[in-house]
Amino acid sequence: MAFLKLLNKTSENEGETKGLARIETDIQAAETILVLAPETNGKVAIKAWEALSKTTGRNHKHLAEAREDEKIRFRDLQAQPRKIITSPIWSGVDSEEVSYNAGYTNVHELIPWRTLTGRQTTYQDHPWMVAFGENMVCYKPPINTKSVQEAMSKLNKSDEYLVINMMTPHNKWTIHSSWSDNLLMLTLGRGGPVVWMSEKDAAKINLKDNDWVEVFNSNGATVARLIVSQRVPENALIMYHNQERTVNMPVNQINGNRGGVHNSVERIALKPTHMIGGYAQLSYGFNYYGTIGSNRDEFVIIRKLSKVEWKDEASDEN
Amino acid sequence: MSGPHAKGMEYAWFNNVETKPGIGYPDDWENQEKWKGGWKLDKEKLAPRMGNKTGIMKNIFANPNMPLIDDYYEPFTFNYSILHKGSRFKTPPSARPYSILTGKPMEKIEKSANWEDNLGGTFEKRSREKNFDNVQKEIYGEFENSFMMYIPRLCEHCLNPTCVAACPSGAIYKREEDGIVLIDQSRCRGWRQCVSACPYKKIYFNWETQKSEKCTFCYPKIEVGEPTICSESCVGRIRYIGVILYDADKILESASNKNEQDIYGEQLGLFLNPNDQEIENEAKKQGIPFNVLEAAKNSPVYKMAIDWKVAFPLHPEYRTLPMVWYVPPLSPVVHAADSGKIGVNGMLPDVEDLRIPTKYLANMFTAGDEKPVKDALKRMLAMRAYMRSKTVDNELNVSVLEQTGLTPEETEKMYELMAIANYNDRFVIPTSHREYAKDAFGYKASCGFSDNGGCSDEKFKNLFGGM
Repeated sequence: MAFLKLLNKTSENEGETKGLARIETDIQAAETILVLAPETNGKVAIKAWEALSKTTGRNHKHLAEAREDEKIRFRDLQAQPRKIITSPIWSGVDSEEVSYNAGYTNVHELIPWRTLTGRQTTYQDHPWMVAFGENMVCYKPPINTKSVQEAMSKLNKSDEYLVINMMTPHNKWTIHSSWSDNLLMLTLGRGGPVVWMSEKDAAKINLKDNDWVEVFNSNGATVARLIVSQRVPENALIMYHNQERTVNMPVNQINGNRGGVHNSVERIALKPTHMIGGYAQLSYGFNYYGTIGSNRDEFVIIRKLSKVEWKDEASDEN
Repeated sequence: MSGPHAKGMEYAWFNNVETKPGIGYPDDWENQEKWKGGWKLDKEKLAPRMGNKTGIMKNIFANPNMPLIDDYYEPFTFNYSILHKGSRFKTPPSARPYSILTGKPMEKIEKSANWEDNLGGTFEKRSREKNFDNVQKEIYGEFENSFMMYIPRLCEHCLNPTCVAACPSGAIYKREEDGIVLIDQSRCRGWRQCVSACPYKKIYFNWETQKSEKCTFCYPKIEVGEPTICSESCVGRIRYIGVILYDADKILESASNKNEQDIYGEQLGLFLNPNDQEIENEAKKQGIPFNVLEAAKNSPVYKMAIDWKVAFPLHPEYRTLPMVWYVPPLSPVVHAADSGKIGVNGMLPDVEDLRIPTKYLANMFTAGDEKPVKDALKRMLAMRAYMRSKTVDNELNVSVLEQTGLTPEETEKMYELMAIANYNDRFVIPTSHREYAKDAFGYKASCGFSDNGGCSDEKFKNLFGGM
């Protein structure tokens, strides 16, 4: 803290913050984190390892000792990436001898695993896990999310459609919307939202490459162009995440509004075992630990978009 | 409305990456029966496939081999402004596509510079490409037998460039000091014969300046000993730049070999060994600077193309003697799990079992001759197996190298250059001597190199290409 005060200077504002380290600019906020984190402040790393040593009764300090005097500052990171200092927040080590891999300190430093037994465990003894029959690893078939049945009523009799399992993997460039939605990247692709399907599935409902399609279920709808490809197995529809609806997406014909993105049709159904929390290794917030979510179980209806409408006239109505 | 590139060049990609199998960009560029690029043998005499000088002059006002904009694509942008004007809409707005050519809205984007990205589109269409010649291609359209590779494409800076020969204005020239092929923008009259003549379709016509433009091999960087931007920024560190000494007097003879499959060997024969004392003496006598000779001795390209023979010219049968060479990709072993043929205990998988058919690769790199390609793949497989035995099993499995002609020392050098690929090993570029490259000054700040609209008078608009 004393170091942080020297670095960021202290606040002169009258009140509670007077005399405390300033966190007023972005850089000061970044420096605060860098000073407090063991990965970027050798002194903190040593302190953290010493604290852990009290629990384990073993000396772990040597993992960071060589870098005790090192401090990684904001300007350092601005210039180039830096190798972090080994810290007990992680289970791997940053070393010249071994490449980073999870669980390394548990094995080589004899640090107990963060489980009830301190060992690696696949058994979950929480009563809810037992109740759901998931106390041991098991296969559970996809659940019926019932998101297709109701939406079937929105189909016209003449529609050629397919009910298909939809997946939303990472795209090849990156994840989410970064990079892939700028004009350069759009030009080096198909120029807007797309879904991928096998040639065989497309032929079943007379869809051709680059056809406009709408994909929907009772969760919502999205509109995209279709790419047919031998790379996709039968019975799978892929919409890489994330392609923004802000570029090149006509309105859907289900409700006449702009469709959403892949998340509009795919939902994660939380189940009670996701909400255990606060129990041994199950003490994260909601996440995909333990039992998986059900978002890859989702089925959608795909059909050709009957009409390409943009609805891009500004309106004064609320 | 502007595109990702300067006005007049929106559709131009001096450097692009195509997914194979695919017809590529522009459409079907490898089909020279259609495009008439490169050279042909006319009664044992080398002539541009599009016709000799008289033929070119005869067609100068109606060139039948000219790619049209539809063979590329209609460049597009989006009306992004709709998103931030703050108007109210009945449903959230979406920026729809606009043609950069006409300025009008487009109902649907039908093409782009990378339409087939990651095997997009039907196999029937993509497999029309030329490299499937003499390959039973049907099975490769099935999901289980799919294969895919990327091919980076740029100007090949050929030793025997058809574009230079076809230019009625004499505007295209190959620089003596570094072999870079450039278009003199002040001499170019926009006849576009070079666009047809280049079999790689890597010269683009700038409709704004009415002149043709091409990759400049970042010559201002090369002159000061720095790599091209595409090489330097390559994340996979797979682009290498080095000096190759060659015998210019033999170019015509090499390019005129009757057998297309021998041209790769002919081109290899043009390259001179910089470590040969006689060659070195002769080079010094001809005034080749000391630092160029030193760079030639450490050339990563020489090692891969000549010493190890793992790099190949792209379509040597075009007879242009291209100078951008490619290392063919290894691919997974087909049905590895059932056949039990995976290389354990030093056994190497048969290159015939690799997912990408060797005939397909040979059609791309050696005019269909599979042997050199197979040998290269074998060498790379052996390098992998040897290094794996060394680093994982802590033993030197020399037996895997036996059939490849590689020594353990050579293998380690190969590994160092191709797998570790340190910056200074990948780019061995001598600074140019101004007194030697005296002509280059006149070409500074020419079109195709500068940003901000190239030679056009249009002022710089938007850094990110929006409207």
